[in-house]
Amino acid sequence: MKRGFAIYLAFLLFLTCFLGWYLTRPKVLTIGLFAGSNWNVPEGDSYALLEEAIKRFEAEHPGVTVKYVSGIRKEDYSEWLAERLLKGEEPDIFVVPGEDFNLYASIGALQPLDRSMNGDGAFDPSVYYPGALDYGRYQGVSYALPLGAVTTLMFVNKTLLAQEGIPIPDNNWTWQDFLRICKAVTKDTDGDGRLDQFGVYDYTWRKAALTNDVQIFAEDGKSADFTDSRMEEVMRFMLELHAVSGGQEVTAKDFDMGRVAFRPFTFAEYRTYKPYPWRIKKYSTFEWDCIKLPAGPSGSNSSIMQVMLVGISARSSEPRLAWEFLKTVCYDPAIQEMMLTKSQGLPVRRDVVESARAQALFTATTPGSEAMNLKTVSEVIADSRTEPKFPRYKEAMNLADNRIFHAVQENTSLSNALSQVQKEINIYLQR
Amino acid sequence: MTEAYTPEKRRLEWLYGLLGLYNGLVVLLMAGFMSLTQEKIIKTMSAHAFLTTLPIVPMPAFRGFLASIGAYALMLFLGKLYRHGGLTGGQRHLVFAAEIGVCMLLMRSLNLAYDGVVLLAVADLMHRYQGENQSWLLLGAMVGLYFMANYNLAIFQRHVAPFDVYAAYYRPEVQSVLLAIQNGLISLNIVLFVLYLVLLVQNKHHEKERIASLNKQLEEANVRLRAYAIEAERTAETRERNRLAREIHDTLGHTLTGIVAGLDACLVLVDAAPAAVKKQMEKIRATAQHGIVDVRRSVKKLRPDDLEKMPLQQAVKKVIAEFGASSGVDIHLVELGWPEKLREDEEEVIYRIVQEGITNARRHGKATKVTVTCGLEPGRFYIIIADNGQGCKDLQQGFGLRHMEERLALLHGRLRYWSDKGFTLEATIPMGKNVMDNNGEAEG
Repeated sequence: MKRGFAIYLAFLLFLTCFLGWYLTRPKVLTIGLFAGSNWNVPEGDSYALLEEAIKRFEAEHPGVTVKYVSGIRKEDYSEWLAERLLKGEEPDIFVVPGEDFNLYASIGALQPLDRSMNGDGAFDPSVYYPGALDYGRYQGVSYALPLGAVTTLMFVNKTLLAQEGIPIPDNNWTWQDFLRICKAVTKDTDGDGRLDQFGVYDYTWRKAALTNDVQIFAEDGKSADFTDSRMEEVMRFMLELHAVSGGQEVTAKDFDMGRVAFRPFTFAEYRTYKPYPWRIKKYSTFEWDCIKLPAGPSGSNSSIMQVMLVGISARSSEPRLAWEFLKTVCYDPAIQEMMLTKSQGLPVRRDVVESARAQALFTATTPGSEAMNLKTVSEVIADSRTEPKFPRYKEAMNLADNRIFHAVQENTSLSNALSQVQKEINIYLQR
Repeated sequence: MTEAYTPEKRRLEWLYGLLGLYNGLVVLLMAGFMSLTQEKIIKTMSAHAFLTTLPIVPMPAFRGFLASIGAYALMLFLGKLYRHGGLTGGQRHLVFAAEIGVCMLLMRSLNLAYDGVVLLAVADLMHRYQGENQSWLLLGAMVGLYFMANYNLAIFQRHVAPFDVYAAYYRPEVQSVLLAIQNGLISLNIVLFVLYLVLLVQNKHHEKERIASLNKQLEEANVRLRAYAIEAERTAETRERNRLAREIHDTLGHTLTGIVAGLDACLVLVDAAPAAVKKQMEKIRATAQHGIVDVRRSVKKLRPDDLEKMPLQQAVKKVIAEFGASSGVDIHLVELGWPEKLREDEEEVIYRIVQEGITNARRHGKATKVTVTCGLEPGRFYIIIADNGQGCKDLQQGFGLRHMEERLALLHGRLRYWSDKGFTLEATIPMGKNVMDNNGEAEG
């Protein structure tokens, strides 16, 4: 009896100690992200935004430490994250690369956020651009929140157009306008028999497809449809565009020299190259600006948006704190506003983008962009599409690029070529 | 367990131990292989490619290894608990359910690469299997287990990292060797399991034979015992008869001899000396008187002990209670009335009738329920003994019934009996002044 009591007492003591330790132990949240910009542009201090968020979060949650590993390159990040997952040491909160999102959501690495989103009174998902929020959804369930986004716009060489006496097209322009201007500017200026002034550089069929409302891949990424009539329109347009330069390759050098009128450009690039010092280093010989992409006959002037996603690990030991931190990073208006000053992307909260403060900040950080109105940008984002994010999207697209390039080169029958491409891509996807 | 520990049993235990050891080894191998492969995958920077081929995020290598080994140890422990006696039926079922649960958990943490542990659970189940009617239960349980394993296979398939994916990390030729090893391990386990089953069935069969032989021996002993009982009864009867003979010889014989001898003397003397005859007659009378006392004493010795010690009512109740308790017959006594005063011989007859009646009901009628009713009517006392036994179609008066009739006849009583639903016996003894006087006279 006495011994039993002693054991009971010892157990109680142990439990108390354990509970005491458990409740007072320092809570650590770990964050996973890569160095450098998500948008493939040079970025000075890639952790500035995160550090700001950590500072705010730690002030609001005493006793909680937020840590992150710095120095992981963007190209190594995907492997680093997979390794961490395999070791069971993944960060509580991490940036999810777009091409990995479907994979991680499907294998249960990401925590579904719907319950937190609906149960949190201080969270309103409608402030986000729907497209950005949807990008973090897999099979109807939210697994990640958007942190920032960039859209793709059309870079216009103002100097060249002025030289040719062509006015800058407005934001409602179409493929036909685009083709007409390209035809007008493509010429041999020095009379050596070779073309040395071009309409467009780096405009691919993918961008054309997106602006012609073509849906190539099924939602799950298991099949592709290239035989749609809208896809044929895209191909016909691409052939015409290709024919303008008579088969002569347009190079990046031509563009840098100011001899190309148009080039698709991400907003991040715009924000990077517009202000000093890049403005001097690159494109210093001509004036330029950005407008929306031209619309296809079946599509609109919609832009292509890239979204940066942040999710919570399904195995996180602190899911509540992780959600709070995720909210600080992806939802807090102050942090969202900082996207404009500390990074090259755009906030994903519509109210933040459209605020007067944001416009002032934007103008201040991106001098020389007086023409760029954040209201317009906001419209562009709201009207933009996101690229599919299933695991083998990149590979499938590269394969399609290659095949379509050859089809265009060899001038085979369009519908034949497309069905051939479709067959090959489907075989690849279903493998 | 108090059962005999036969070499067969030892062999079975040994094989079970081997089965457990072998499965443990395979679990260790599989878990080790998978966690080592996982570590290797991380080291060679193919984590991302590996993840894309999986339906889930696998457990970290070391944790998965520990989970498998831990689950296996727990399963062995539960199996031991289940096999061990000293658990009630409910507890045993609970333990077995827990064992199945742990088994599923183990299969899951082993990524379904090895399902041989299910057979271990079946072996445990088989071990406790006893009796004929449980074979259906066993069959049901085995089919259930099999389906459960397959069902789990079907649902877990999307929730585990399959063995093939781990194997796919290696070169094709290594892959085929790995798969061959995996299949070999599974097959060897099945061989061991079947061997165990064969031995178990053999063991059960031998045990059954042993029990049958024991039963036969018991039967023989029973027969001998019954013969001995009959023999003993006969001996007791003989002894009683001898005692009666002795009593008669000692008391009546002695007295009557004395009386005859005395009367002979009287015959000689009667004419010569009538006075002496008178004296002699006195002596003869005394002898006769003494003889009567002796006979009475002998008769008293024949009276049932209970009647000697207590009144009739209690003695009857006692004999009923005792017989009921010893034979298991449900005997109910209905008392509608008792005569106020009875002579010893009347008491004895009543007692004997009750005793004989219930004995007959049990012995001949195989009755389970007997109602004894006794009541008083003007002029007579009656006892009705009715049972629910099989009765008999053509009545053959046995020793018991004749004795009862004879006894009753001495008292001017009557015995009636008939058989319809069971057997009913009615004995009536006349009561009243006339009879009393009559009997008194006879006694006097």
